[in-house]
Amino acid sequence: MQQDRFAREGDYITLYIPARGTALVFRVRAVSRFSIDYGPLPIPAGLTLPTYDGTSATVPAYGVLPGRALVPQGITFPSVIPNVYDGSDMWYVPEDYRDRLFHVVQRVTPSWLRIDVQVPSGVVQSRFQKDRGMGGVDRAFGYTRGAIETIHIPKVHYGFRYGNDSNIDAVTFVRFEYAEYTVDVPANPELIFDILTRRVPSLWFTLPIFIPDPSVESALEVTYGAFGFPLYRADERVRALEEYRRVLDRILSKYAGGG
Amino acid sequence: MRELVTVFGSASPTASNQSGDFRLSSPVAYSSFTYIRVPQGLKLKVWAKRLSGTAGFTLLIQYTGDVTAPSPTWVTIDAEHLAGAGSLELEKRRPVAVLGVTGKEAVKLSYANTTGAGTIYVSAEVELTDEE
Repeated sequence: MQQDRFAREGDYITLYIPARGTALVFRVRAVSRFSIDYGPLPIPAGLTLPTYDGTSATVPAYGVLPGRALVPQGITFPSVIPNVYDGSDMWYVPEDYRDRLFHVVQRVTPSWLRIDVQVPSGVVQSRFQKDRGMGGVDRAFGYTRGAIETIHIPKVHYGFRYGNDSNIDAVTFVRFEYAEYTVDVPANPELIFDILTRRVPSLWFTLPIFIPDPSVESALEVTYGAFGFPLYRADERVRALEEYRRVLDRILSKYAGGG
Repeated sequence: MRELVTVFGSASPTASNQSGDFRLSSPVAYSSFTYIRVPQGLKLKVWAKRLSGTAGFTLLIQYTGDVTAPSPTWVTIDAEHLAGAGSLELEKRRPVAVLGVTGKEAVKLSYANTTGAGTIYVSAEVELTDEE
């Protein structure tokens, strides 16, 4: 497992939400880091998939992505671990898991496969020049190959899409390298400001939420009581601190058991 | 990213049919194939080749710039010759490399100049990567 990708105990994590221009800030209290050899991609045999050539292909066996085929709708990962909250999506947790963040690196074999993520599942987030161009595994850009890194926030289903632009019917395999962070939110608005102006080191991660979506915004509101902290310039300290106090009140009330 | 896979195949040439394409298999492939299409932006490298059989033959690594054409034009970019019955293992410090510029490029393994009837075998270590 790559060691330096994940946060450590005592680190701060900043999750930037481009659609809102806001950021969530957390302090890592504990880290539980493991790998899961998941198995094949959850693509059922017999499923008909579109291809890059404008035709269709049938999945010949569970977990096989036919040559030139792509998965057009984001899929979630049924749990291989018993008793998880949602058996159809092992990375989904409800809002009362607001003290947890899952930082997940998904590695897919063969690694030439294209991958993208929809947040929430069904909403393509890859964009070019604002909204003028849409990316993804079915486009010329907006995907990665072989691995994708995400941090999962509660109450949102992330959907993953895959594409096989070679001609080989790929026998797939997925390995998750992940960290389950136990987190809280720093209660000091000055510290929040220093983190968001990069005066205090933090693991910055841009959530792939470039397009506002009502379900994501509802999830943020229900989970954290806010969409996050707006970013201010370093010379806007007074204005920022006022705003951060208001936002912190809402967030901390959630952490204090305010629903 | 980089994915190194073993591909392998066999053929049974006869006196009247001394050349052809290997039908290849691989642990990463659910079904067999005759060529590997190079995804756009990636590079295909052939690092090692193993030839064996009860007859000699020439292994041809062939490339086309457009495998979607009705009759793709295949160009030989590498050849190795097994003189007679036996085996030959070749590992090069510099691989044969093909860049996926359009995503239509493909590479196949063929045989020619067989010295007699029998079964011939080939395997190769093929890498798909976006690295140098």
